[in-house]
Amino acid sequence: MMKINVTINDVASAFDVDPDMPLLWLIRDEAKLKGTKFGCGMAQCGACSAHVDGELVRTCSYPVHLAHEKKITTIEGLSANPNHLHPIQQAWLEVQVPQCGYCQSGFMMAAAHLLEENSNPTEEDIKNGITNICRCGTHPRIIKAILLAAKLKNNGTTN
Amino acid sequence: MAQPTDKPKKGFSRRKFLARSGATIAGSLALLYFGRSNIRSGISQLAADVKFDAGITDFDPMLWFEVNEDNTITLRSPKIEMGQGVFTGFAMLAAEELDLPIDNIKVVHASTSTGPQSTAATGLSNSTASLYTPIREVAATLRETLKLAASKAWGVPISGIQTANGVLTAGSRRASYAEIAGQTQTWEIAKTPALRPASSFKIIGKAQKRIDLPEKIMGEAVYGIDTDIPGMLYGAVLYCPYVGGVLKTADTTLARTNPAVLSVVQDKNWIGVVAKTRFAAEKAIAGIKATWDFEPNYSTKDAIEAITVGNGVTVVMEDEGNATDALNSDVLTSEYRTPMGFHASMEPSIVVADVSGETVKLYTSTQNVAFIQQSIADQTHFKPENSQIMPAFLGGGFGRRAFKHNAIEAIKLSEAAGKPVHLLSTRQQEFQNGHVRPNTHHRLNGKVDAKGKIQAIQHEFATGSMAFLGMPVAKPLLGADFMAAGHGGRVPYAIPNKKTSIWSSDLPFQTGLWRGVGMFANTFAIESFIDELAIKAGADPLTFRMAHCGNTALLQRRKKLLQKLGEQGGWRKPKTDTIGRGIAVCEDHDTISGAIVELEIVEKKIKILRVVQAIDAGLLVNPDGVRQQVEGATMMAISASLYEEATIENSQFVQTNFHNYQVAKLKDTPQIDVLIRESTEMPSGVGEPPLSPVAPAIANALYNLTGIRLRSLPLQAALDSYYQETGS
Repeated sequence: MMKINVTINDVASAFDVDPDMPLLWLIRDEAKLKGTKFGCGMAQCGACSAHVDGELVRTCSYPVHLAHEKKITTIEGLSANPNHLHPIQQAWLEVQVPQCGYCQSGFMMAAAHLLEENSNPTEEDIKNGITNICRCGTHPRIIKAILLAAKLKNNGTTN
Repeated sequence: MAQPTDKPKKGFSRRKFLARSGATIAGSLALLYFGRSNIRSGISQLAADVKFDAGITDFDPMLWFEVNEDNTITLRSPKIEMGQGVFTGFAMLAAEELDLPIDNIKVVHASTSTGPQSTAATGLSNSTASLYTPIREVAATLRETLKLAASKAWGVPISGIQTANGVLTAGSRRASYAEIAGQTQTWEIAKTPALRPASSFKIIGKAQKRIDLPEKIMGEAVYGIDTDIPGMLYGAVLYCPYVGGVLKTADTTLARTNPAVLSVVQDKNWIGVVAKTRFAAEKAIAGIKATWDFEPNYSTKDAIEAITVGNGVTVVMEDEGNATDALNSDVLTSEYRTPMGFHASMEPSIVVADVSGETVKLYTSTQNVAFIQQSIADQTHFKPENSQIMPAFLGGGFGRRAFKHNAIEAIKLSEAAGKPVHLLSTRQQEFQNGHVRPNTHHRLNGKVDAKGKIQAIQHEFATGSMAFLGMPVAKPLLGADFMAAGHGGRVPYAIPNKKTSIWSSDLPFQTGLWRGVGMFANTFAIESFIDELAIKAGADPLTFRMAHCGNTALLQRRKKLLQKLGEQGGWRKPKTDTIGRGIAVCEDHDTISGAIVELEIVEKKIKILRVVQAIDAGLLVNPDGVRQQVEGATMMAISASLYEEATIENSQFVQTNFHNYQVAKLKDTPQIDVLIRESTEMPSGVGEPPLSPVAPAIANALYNLTGIRLRSLPLQAALDSYYQETGS
């Protein structure tokens, strides 16, 4: 066991856990933040995506000791509050993206990261830059929403 | 809470509802007491016209609804929200009759102890179709019941009371629904009033934002996996990795001596552990040494051999005219195959079981609450009255959660640990120990006369079962699963001579429902073959299809849909030689769905450029929800048509995760246009129908581009094989 210090969504916490445990289980079962999902367990589907020190990480395959003393942002921390949505979430609502919604936290975290790296992505940039899996088939709306989110962010018209 | 107390003993409008739903599958099964082939065939033809009902008999408004203090009304849904948008559709139906803004309606899943129950699974695209009238009736009855209560409280006749925006008024008197509910001690349930005509709808039929999305974009929606109750521990289970295998020996010493492990349970065919964390439970499972008895060297080849026309039990599903005699010369024969497929729902199977003495509470993601409750009663000592099932949002359904579940394992682990246990399947178990869409084989014979008319067509197909997984008694009676796996097997065109037969064989692994059931495979075969016949006749594939739409109402709707698809979908628009264009259509439980696909081949890979979908699903409750479903079905169909294939080698499913089970990703997204044919028919399904025309439309477009006729799915693998075989 190892004491892991992490700051999750601006809250500093310490957890006594197996250092090899995937970060996903710390987020979900120890910190009780359930928005980050399990889909595959081998970094294939992206349902577990979160930001660790600003990097996009598939937390199901990221040993928790690597997150020690780092800042983690999960879907619950993407927006400051429901009245001030991140442009990605705003666009997701506007375009009505989710169906079952299970993979959408991961997609939104990947999309938010994409916009950090590339503030004005083309459709091709989005198609090649995000490799998460959705089974309901929300793909066309995800692409549309990311293009919209980029506009919202660049125009500063987020609420 | 202003929860009304005196519940009436009887539900209302039950007879009316049953009368409307007509014969049910359960009813037709009851007719069966022996399985001779002519009886099976008769039942098969009867079953073709059966409308699936919602499997709900209790329409007591007090069971369905709760009037809350903040003047919102909670609707307890007997159907599960798995992404198809039923919560929003149901809220719209209720709001229309309740005279309440839709924002004031909350929808939650009914648990077995709190709300109306459905004996049928959520699926078959029938939730909105089957509850379109009943939900409005139960909502209208609640409205009239509230008026009745106000009329008594105020001493005014009910005819003088109006409702609007959640407020009751009579002259100067005024009270919110919540105020009336709060002061009413004894309820008199009103008679079900006449429903509002579609012409006066204010909510139904208008695009409505989904009510479940705000919590879904915040990461706050609760799925089965998110269940977290005090004292909860984590389970993990070891299942047999071999198809049809059984547990021979198990050495659990390491697990039993592992200080992190709290319980070890060895059952007939699985071994489970309970630990404080999932990671510890999974590590302990990895340390168990087990041996298994299984048939060695079983492979996909064996499954294909078993599922071949001519093998097993056969049932004639359709026999009009005399196809055998008509197919005497100049016959075109083609054979098609579809592979086994996984659902790959993003949320694996999940159950949290909380056993306490003789009762158990179960939190789970399921499409079939009633089936889980019954299987618990069958396989454990918890009788239905002692088990409470709390369904959650599903991380995808697609048929995966209709029958097979891990509730029994979770219950036994919770019983052993004396604590609630969270049991989540791994992705590998989802694939290797779930159930697969069965592979299929189709042989079609057809004949076109000199005038370009199809004189006869015969469709013989072989498939594993889909529905028998949940109905063990049905198998010996029915012989073949013509209801689910055989769905879509009949040739839906006006042709004088046609015959359809299904062949069924046993497979040593579980096969089950998959989105669209048999319609997916059968439409691939039939609509590819219709294209082959059109080409043989030298006809345009769209014109050819329209020329074989007869005079029945459904075929006329098909013709009009094809016309719209052709005109607005760019069928005759000039295109370059590098683009292939194909078309296909299907009808699925009264919904007509057709698609045009445009594609190109880039470096030997199929690239879908554009899919135009046209759908006629009767009256649309939420048009934007319908568009969402059509787009989603299109993407899932592209995935299944181009890439997905489950295979077996050395008695194991080869695919263990997404690295070797390819699915469509963002890069595979074409332009998708949705055309809706407006109609005032009763609403019919939308979740499944648009899926089925996609595979044949792709295959037909590939032929159009290359002259290569690919007759097996997945099409990318079929194209790869073609290139390999021809050295091109």
